Amino acid sequence: MDQGTQKKSRYGMLIDLDRCNGCGACMVACAVEHNVAPAEHKATARTGVTWLRVAPMSNGGEFPATDTIYVPMPCQQCEKDTPCVAVCPQNAVDVDPATGIVGQVPQRCLGCRYCMTACPYHARYFDWWDPQWPKGMEQALNPDVAPRMRGVVEKCNFCHARLHTARTKAAAEGRESINPADYVPACVEVCPSKAIVFGDLEDATSELAQAVKHPHVFRFLEKLGTESKVYYRSDKQWVLDKAKSLQTV
Amino acid sequence: MFPWIYEFRWTVGHIIFLGVFFTVAAVVVSTVVLALRRSKKAIADPRREALQWTSEFEDLPAVVRACRHQLSGEVKERTCHHEFDCRSCATHPQFLARTAPAIHAAAEESLCGISMPLDRYYHRGHTWVKPEGDGTFTIGLDEFGSRMIGQPDAVALPEVGSAVLANGTGWTMRKRSSDLRVLAPIDGVVVEQGGPDKGWYLRVRSEGTEPQFRHLLRGHEIRPWLVRELERLEYALSSDGIGLSLADGGELMPDLWKQSPEIDWEGVWGSMLLQA
Amino acid sequence: MDKQFIPRGLRRTTFGKFMAWMIPWILVLGFGLYAIYLCLAEGLFHTNMDNRFAFGLWIYLDLTVIALGAGAFFTGFLLYILRREEARAVINSAVVLGLICYSGAVAVLMVDVGQPLRAWFTFWHPNTHSMLTEVTFCLTAYLTVLLIEYVPIVLKNRKLRQIPRFLVFEFQLHKIMPVLAGVGTFLSFFHQGSLGGLYGVLQGRPFAFREALGIWPSTFFLFVLSAAAAGPSFVLVMTALVQGISKKKLVKPEVLQFLGRISGSLLLVYILVKAIDTLVWMNYTSPMVGFSAFEFYNAGSFGTWILVLEVVVLGLVPALLLVNGHMRARPLVLLGAALMTCCGVMLNRFVMTIQTLALPTLPFDAVLSYMPSWEEVATFVAVLAYGVLLYSLSFRYLTLFPQEKDIRQS
Repeated sequence: MDQGTQKKSRYGMLIDLDRCNGCGACMVACAVEHNVAPAEHKATARTGVTWLRVAPMSNGGEFPATDTIYVPMPCQQCEKDTPCVAVCPQNAVDVDPATGIVGQVPQRCLGCRYCMTACPYHARYFDWWDPQWPKGMEQALNPDVAPRMRGVVEKCNFCHARLHTARTKAAAEGRESINPADYVPACVEVCPSKAIVFGDLEDATSELAQAVKHPHVFRFLEKLGTESKVYYRSDKQWVLDKAKSLQTV
Repeated sequence: MFPWIYEFRWTVGHIIFLGVFFTVAAVVVSTVVLALRRSKKAIADPRREALQWTSEFEDLPAVVRACRHQLSGEVKERTCHHEFDCRSCATHPQFLARTAPAIHAAAEESLCGISMPLDRYYHRGHTWVKPEGDGTFTIGLDEFGSRMIGQPDAVALPEVGSAVLANGTGWTMRKRSSDLRVLAPIDGVVVEQGGPDKGWYLRVRSEGTEPQFRHLLRGHEIRPWLVRELERLEYALSSDGIGLSLADGGELMPDLWKQSPEIDWEGVWGSMLLQA
Repeated sequence: MDKQFIPRGLRRTTFGKFMAWMIPWILVLGFGLYAIYLCLAEGLFHTNMDNRFAFGLWIYLDLTVIALGAGAFFTGFLLYILRREEARAVINSAVVLGLICYSGAVAVLMVDVGQPLRAWFTFWHPNTHSMLTEVTFCLTAYLTVLLIEYVPIVLKNRKLRQIPRFLVFEFQLHKIMPVLAGVGTFLSFFHQGSLGGLYGVLQGRPFAFREALGIWPSTFFLFVLSAAAAGPSFVLVMTALVQGISKKKLVKPEVLQFLGRISGSLLLVYILVKAIDTLVWMNYTSPMVGFSAFEFYNAGSFGTWILVLEVVVLGLVPALLLVNGHMRARPLVLLGAALMTCCGVMLNRFVMTIQTLALPTLPFDAVLSYMPSWEEVATFVAVLAYGVLLYSLSFRYLTLFPQEKDIRQS
């Protein structure tokens, strides 16, 4: 990549779980943005491709004490000892040092799925079927994102194509760095309750860098030491407890 | 893997890992190439016969590889490790020194109707060699062999002037659909071709001063060896699930195969002629 | 009708009976090939694997057969490097078993990956940090070595050896066999280890993650040890099985006892190291990353019984039986203990592959279940059928047990 001249960024995300109502708009926007083919009729929650999965989490209480929140889980963009990078036998996964984004190269992927085994967040998806679009729908494909073939692994890359567009725009306007307003991932853009904040963690003045300092902000599986860049926030104590407690199964 | 590949960066890990892998690959490939080159050389070499015998001998059952001194009862159990070439065996002279040569007045040994004249030496692959007194030696198939096989359909003898090697191919015979390789008992140069009708197959002149018969069976050794060979034949026949009784005092029939032609005779003949 | 191809001095069943044995297996193989065709031509949706259970029966099969196939390298190591002549009685059989295990594993792997035609990418863009890269390189190299080791056995066939060119090549190849045995041992050491490392490095899977010793997690060494222990046991079990099916004595009893003794001693060492490793993991590695080890055993049907079964019942018990000379001398105990050893290692591979994936990592996830589809099972069975077919052909036409004719004839 030709990021040598640009300043280093660490893109990250903060998802406010108290704002998320589980509507799934982010999942749809993501699928449209990344040319994810409509699911096969036989596809299940575990075989379908969704770069962003919204999973329910319950406090397990009896009515009326029961409470459920929804956890949108894209690739957590782990920064340190990124689990999926070290395991890929053919360097099809890498962390871009200029952006901190974990990239997947489907064109080089063998489909061995070792990275999926390695990912503790289950944020990686395999193309079990040939991607197929109903007639006419291929007209609506996003020209900035290459569709993936059957038999490879794909995952969230923080809408890398949008970063490219923002960079192209910056270059055209003679700027060295992009305008943060030009680079907003599809899920962030579409969320009706504005639950997701996206930005550069490296930039101390950014909204994100400020927001993650809040004591109610946490990351899942923090103790694994992967330094993921997707943060979550909830003011509900049971959510904080559950997320930080030892594994309970 | 190669420096010109997009975005490839050499690290110490790559150098160690790929270095080890390519070393292994080089070892495997060169091993196979070495074997191929060696065998190309060996196939052109007349000593390939010796190599073939080494390979065959290794695969003979342990019972067949028993030392001649075990057959004669001088030692309880001993397996030959010299490919039946007592000339290179250090223990063989010790046995000879220990046992006084038995006086054998009889002119022939006879068992189950097989007569083995004692004026000659026998190879364990059922050939004999007889000094003719004029510096030449005749080589033939012993009676055990000829009764077992019968009249061969065709015989391919080595050309006059060609060399035969002890334990190498003496000549080949075709019988029914089987090609049989008969082992030569001694080293020599063929001077005359014989055949089944003449009673001998080859007349050879031995190179060097004196032919070495040390590795061949003689005199008192013939009877125990024959007993053993009859047992072996019986076993070979039983491998095929057909028990041909041989040793109940009867005779080994001439043209033995006619008794039950459906047997795998190539297998039986081959194993009696010391082929693995 | 095929008598001329059967080694001299061996007794084999009639061609008709042989075909009656082979044809059902050929049908099974054909059925499996159809399932493989479906997976290759239409896609891996024919399996019951999914994004959460990304490795299934096939990876389990690969790890298991490769662990058992270690019998080939270890027998070669015993014979050619340590010069233990007892091993000669089973070396040919062990090579065929190894070849079957490794070629079967590689074949299944090729179905398992989504884009098999890209397999060469690993050689082109190798990631030297990945255990799978190492496994790929070593498996390819070792399968080649096994094929080369199989060649002399084939060339010694009664008919083929009559061709002087083959005989000479066989002879020359046999002379350099110790080099290949050495290479095989080296390669086996690394890929058995790397297969263990495959799971031991998964920091995202605290159930499998282990402390590193040098650049390898402890499972690297545990897999090497357990494969070396299971290999001779597998050769023993298979020899006994072939003896039973063919109703023939193929090796002298001392040979089996020798294999049992080697297996038992290695298993004892393995169980000791495994026990230490488990304790370190329970008290240190797992709590460090926020997981109490015992909670893993409260999940679904995976209780601590599975640990006890693996380490004690199918580990310590057969190890003690095999190292004890009196016990080992009883054929049934010997066979039973060897069988238990193999099962123990198979259970270990199950725990590493299936249990690891079944256990959830996220606080809102439940234990996952997975049941292989018929296509997966058919592929699995096809490998078995392929093994039976190749072994049966080899057993009929090649000399797999050099002692067989000696035993019959004496």
